[in-house]
Amino acid sequence: MSDAHWLTATEISAAYAARHLSPVELVRALLDRIAALDPRVHAFIKVDAEAALDAAGLAEREIAAGRSRGPLHGVPVGIKDIIDVAGLPTTCHSKLLLDHVATADAEVTARLRAAGAIILGKLALHEFAIGGPAFDLPFPPARNPWNTSHHPGGSSSGSGAALAAGLVPLALGTDTGGSVRNPAGACGVVGLKPTYGLVSRRGVFPLAFTLDHVGPMARSVGDVALLLDTLAGHDPADPGSVATASRRFGEDLGRGVRGLRIGFVRHFHETDLTADPEIAAALDEAARVLEGEGAHVRTVTLPSLREFSGVQRVIMLANPGPFTPAGCASVPGDYSASSRRKLMSGAFLSAGDYVSAQQRRSALIGSRGRRVPRRGRAPVRQRHGPRVSHRRRGGRGAHLSAPGPQPVQSDRASRRSP
Amino acid sequence: MMPSLPDRRARPGRQAGLDKAATEFPEDVAAAAEAAAQAQRACAGGGQPTDEPWPPMRARTTS
Repeated sequence: MSDAHWLTATEISAAYAARHLSPVELVRALLDRIAALDPRVHAFIKVDAEAALDAAGLAEREIAAGRSRGPLHGVPVGIKDIIDVAGLPTTCHSKLLLDHVATADAEVTARLRAAGAIILGKLALHEFAIGGPAFDLPFPPARNPWNTSHHPGGSSSGSGAALAAGLVPLALGTDTGGSVRNPAGACGVVGLKPTYGLVSRRGVFPLAFTLDHVGPMARSVGDVALLLDTLAGHDPADPGSVATASRRFGEDLGRGVRGLRIGFVRHFHETDLTADPEIAAALDEAARVLEGEGAHVRTVTLPSLREFSGVQRVIMLANPGPFTPAGCASVPGDYSASSRRKLMSGAFLSAGDYVSAQQRRSALIGSRGRRVPRRGRAPVRQRHGPRVSHRRRGGRGAHLSAPGPQPVQSDRASRRSP
Repeated sequence: MMPSLPDRRARPGRQAGLDKAATEFPEDVAAAAEAAAQAQRACAGGGQPTDEPWPPMRARTTS
């Protein structure tokens, strides 16, 4: 089958069932495409070709024998290199963890394997999911397949780039302050930050414990729902995990938006952080389309975006993972300049700053709950402008100037990069 | 005697325990201090001292 690399997981599963495609054929096609394109896209840190072909052979035999494990059986997936895959390094795109080999799967990895998904390899990111695109690290930064001189967003940069380049049909990212939603928007794919506690973080390198999420990424909303079906579930080994009723996240797809209540936070992009006119116009157009389809869109006012962003930054910087700021104090030269600057900020914040930010966070959550209706939605702009160049700056990294809203979401994809 | 400019810029970093970084990367330490101050300013005020921090404390029992 030609163009198999552009199939969604849903289409792949149907093609397997119809015997139009086999897992081994698909994995080989993707490995060929990775070999051809990834030297320019740099989405992968590690391609685990041998294990992927072994897993594809097993899936092929099981499916042929009528023992299907479900819609992800035999579907390849890329894993952000901050999530453990047993036997592979979890480098976090950092010099500091080059030799750190995971001894066990993260819970999300184990769930994917149990569903029959094929781990294709580990994907690039911003160092420790906090630095920016950097050229002073052991691996090059991922590039945007739509234009390789542009940034693919981050920190799940390799996940967004690999999907947009047709190197994987599914990917995992992590999101502490937009790191799934931002590359999804920049690369024209779909990313979701699930509700806190829905997806286990066990085996995921921590950045900020109360903000970290694992998020599904794909080229269609339906595929993200399928992936979330597999990832979601209680994990007693994750203290933040929540036991919820099992559900199918895609069950409402195709039913339209009639009657859906949508809060439109215009001041985020009109006054708090003025958006590029192209983006502002796209948001207005989205609101018009949703109203035309029967949704109730109304403007709502929340506290300023600056306050949301400040609270998030204090919590993230003062609540760092195990390498910061102590790591920066002992081996500062081993970090990229970009992450060094961000991580060291935590050394200038006090416990009092942290508690105050957590108190304000409660109030901000409450304000959103009062103004955005339950089961409603609040579309907001993407973090950066429409185009961000991926240029070197003094040989150290690209410059991303725009601070941005944290609750960003992209929910439309299925475009193909050139 | 007035400390030199590099010394003045490095001092906050040393006070924060970043002596080595303050010596090797004084500009990065200064940028980190400024970023922390900006974040502090952005979320200062507006909160109530009686607000429960998030996540709220949860009592657990063991069987």
